Amino acid sequence: MASTSSAGTPAQSHGFGPVKLFLNWFVLVCLTFSTFGVSKIEMPVNYHLAAAICIAIVKLSLVVLFFMHLWWGEGINRIVFLTSFLFLAVLMFFVMADVGTRFTLSNSRIPPLPKIDQTLMPSGMPPGMGQVPQGHSDAPGRTAGKAGEQ
Amino acid sequence: MQSSAARKMTPEGWLEPPPLPHHYETEENHKAALRFGMWLFLGTEVLLFAGIFVGYFVFRTYFPEAFEQAGRHLSLFWGTANTLVLLTSSFTVATAHYFAEHGKNRNAFWLLMASVVMGAMFLCIKGIEYHDKFEEFALPGKFFHFEEITAPGGPIFYVVYFFATGLHALHVIVGMSLLTWVAVRCWRKEFSPQYYAPVENAGLYWHLVDLVWIFLYPLLYLV
Repeated sequence: MASTSSAGTPAQSHGFGPVKLFLNWFVLVCLTFSTFGVSKIEMPVNYHLAAAICIAIVKLSLVVLFFMHLWWGEGINRIVFLTSFLFLAVLMFFVMADVGTRFTLSNSRIPPLPKIDQTLMPSGMPPGMGQVPQGHSDAPGRTAGKAGEQ
Repeated sequence: MQSSAARKMTPEGWLEPPPLPHHYETEENHKAALRFGMWLFLGTEVLLFAGIFVGYFVFRTYFPEAFEQAGRHLSLFWGTANTLVLLTSSFTVATAHYFAEHGKNRNAFWLLMASVVMGAMFLCIKGIEYHDKFEEFALPGKFFHFEEITAPGGPIFYVVYFFATGLHALHVIVGMSLLTWVAVRCWRKEFSPQYYAPVENAGLYWHLVDLVWIFLYPLLYLV
């Protein structure tokens, strides 16, 4: 930790100078192009997602540690920042665990209705239901006629 | 905060630092407290954006095809350009912090102004992208009339896109305001090895804006 004298002499700096900051920037730019390049590789979308997030985490670390001075600063600030990401992970984990184990866009355990078998359709249904157009006398549902009504 | 007019110029060429508030024992104490407060605030910012990122992954799980189709319709060129602009502005802000800490206020001033200009460039590019989206009705909710996205969930993608980038753009505007304010104070030579917390904290805010974009860029444009 830098000790500052009140005499006005420049403090003993606890960060990178311009040259090292520039190098950090250069690495970040390279990582940006690498994440761009990786996105062009043929692979399943989940791998793309994982690769993109991994590179983003490396970039985040470089920015946080060297641009934001977390490498040198007080430890308490590291705890604060890591805790916020821990809470983000908790939120993400439980929400995604919920979403991932649901029936698609439904919260019902009732199985879907079975397909209606037209041959078993009784006559005398409300208009339009189970009816076969005129001229299709070979349709089994039609031959039952009114007699099929129970 | 004491106005700079009441402070004298030191022989080194910067204004005397404001007097230490009485509840701090040392200057280091004071600096650490200001830094700690800023980091706490940044923690809440992370949680603010956490909601948007969780929303992104939930809707992506529900509508994977729409997210892929819509992602391909975003401009990769402008997205990448914006990433480079923000990274570079982060570098200039970090360097401005270094110069302010060493009492080189003029260097810090020009670097901060360059960062503000890059922030404006970012917003202009964002504006071009938004304009394109409005032109093709690639919009959230009921305003969505974009035939090229056929999979269900297109309107949802644009809800996520506009909310995430909109909230981020709002942060860019706030960050630019903070950097301008700090740059003006650099011009007045207010910062010195004893007192540079405003540059540091405005810089931390700007870096957070950069961090959010580091995640938004691959998730929206690349995957």
